[in-house]
Amino acid sequence: MTSDIAALELAAARARRFVLRMLEAHHAGHVGGALSAIDMVVGVYRRAMQLSPGMLASVDRDRFLLSAGHKALAQYAVLAEAGLVPESILDTYGQTGSALSGHPDMHKLPGIEANTGALGHGLPIACGMALGARLAGVGSRVFVVMGDGELPEGSNWEGAAIAAHHRLDQLTVFVDVNGLQISGPTADVMGMESIAAKFEAFGWATLVIDGNDMASVADALDQLPLEAGKPSAIIARTVKGKGISAIEGAVSSHYWKPSPAELAVAIEECEVAIQTAQAGLVAS
Amino acid sequence: MIGEVQDPRVTFGKAVAEAGDADPRVVVLSADSGGSSGLGGFAKTHPERYLEFGIQEHGVTGVASGLSTFGFIPVFCAIAPFVTCRNFEAFRNDVGYMGQNVKIVGRNGGFTYSDLGATHHSLEDYALTRMIPGVVVLAPQDPAEIRGAVAAMLKHEGPVYMRIGNDPIPQIFPGDTFVIGQAKRLREGSGLTVISTGYVTPRVLDAVDLVSEEVDVDLLGLGTVVPLDEEAIITSAMRTGRVLTVEEHYIRGGLGSAVCELLSGVPGVIVDRLAVPHAYVPSGRYAEITARYGLDVDGIAARIRSMAQLKVPVG
Repeated sequence: MTSDIAALELAAARARRFVLRMLEAHHAGHVGGALSAIDMVVGVYRRAMQLSPGMLASVDRDRFLLSAGHKALAQYAVLAEAGLVPESILDTYGQTGSALSGHPDMHKLPGIEANTGALGHGLPIACGMALGARLAGVGSRVFVVMGDGELPEGSNWEGAAIAAHHRLDQLTVFVDVNGLQISGPTADVMGMESIAAKFEAFGWATLVIDGNDMASVADALDQLPLEAGKPSAIIARTVKGKGISAIEGAVSSHYWKPSPAELAVAIEECEVAIQTAQAGLVAS
Repeated sequence: MIGEVQDPRVTFGKAVAEAGDADPRVVVLSADSGGSSGLGGFAKTHPERYLEFGIQEHGVTGVASGLSTFGFIPVFCAIAPFVTCRNFEAFRNDVGYMGQNVKIVGRNGGFTYSDLGATHHSLEDYALTRMIPGVVVLAPQDPAEIRGAVAAMLKHEGPVYMRIGNDPIPQIFPGDTFVIGQAKRLREGSGLTVISTGYVTPRVLDAVDLVSEEVDVDLLGLGTVVPLDEEAIITSAMRTGRVLTVEEHYIRGGLGSAVCELLSGVPGVIVDRLAVPHAYVPSGRYAEITARYGLDVDGIAARIRSMAQLKVPVG
């Protein structure tokens, strides 16, 4: 089990480096939210979902939706890191016609399940997928990553009601609570705490974790469903921009345009993190 | 008239239930709206494929998108403004942009919910839905077309919006044949082209027959707003040189606008549009509201006469 966690940590370190590889191609992007969410995205793809490139079109596949579509860099990086899309595609980020749109586009990139980006859409679509799996009699599980900044969108709570009423326990939502959004601290822009209590009130089972701690992410995934007959909400406390010291915890990380020097420092930090994770894997 | 007058919701609900008998992919979604949409029969015969969500339309539109990814054909019917205005972004992104095989049906279209006021009127649904790329927009004109349109929309792979009304409408077509994008010529003439769509068409037919001694009308009935039957419209317009569109929709953005867009490049054709002025329609009795806006038989007949008498500038 320890080696599993170490392997996931190495995957997350590599995925963070891939985020920067896309910045090398395009020089700007929604980096902060991608880096706060990337550990849970790695966990879902590598520990929870049973996916291979050949399964991306099979009806009974597990599905991952990025409701907070601006965190697309995280999903692109993890798809590449997990071998579901070729690494070289990362170098096309930002190019006109690239399969890596600013927000996910299901018609361009295998592994993308919904055209998100407009906020508050992922959960209702995921509810439909979970109902579809049930009606079709297949065992697909559905995972959604939401941002705390999108919680004021009312459609999320339409989805929250649907999932609980229809007892969609094969549906899991991670709420990436990095506490920051484009205008400032989420608590100041529109306070939505207690997030866990809100989901519980709707009839969900909840768990609050440190979303940048891979052991906690893996432990949460291993417990799913948190309660039979209820959808699961994992409230993941995270740090925006996690892994790059220049932007960790900074509102400005939301859409980061690093200078060449800043990018070089960030890349070096990621390379060191990869080496550390490799050493951890060997030691375990 | 060919057949008996029928309630459009009952006709629609029966057609969906029969389709559901034959095709296990058909799933009905209800926002506390299934029974009043005529879908109570489907709920009884296929309870496992009848999903209730309570009063919410954005969420249900997203659910429809997700369901369709498992090969199901979701049919979501509710009061027209709630499945076109309220949920517009979900319709645009989750259904249109994602290209999903979802069927959204707006009932009580136009101002057929006349006594409930402007919140329940739907006078912009053609405009909204035809702005979403890839969405087919249907407006069946009689009970036979409702049956045919249900079959056609379920067979069509991709997003569809369909509008039906409220008041009973007579059957004017001999059979259920419905081809998406194909106009039907109800009367053949060379003096004036009249183009109608939806449940207004039986009234337009009566009006055309009322003035048949005075005006030689070429009447095209469109069960499909998107895609337009461009060939039929252009051919008729070039023959008559003058076109009148009739619809229970705002004058902005609906069938009349679509026809103007189409004919703007055709020389020697003038177009007049009989539709609802761009304002909030008061509540009241349907027949009275219809007459107020000149969309009753007499009003339509009067507009046809005035259009026929209009002097066309020679240029």
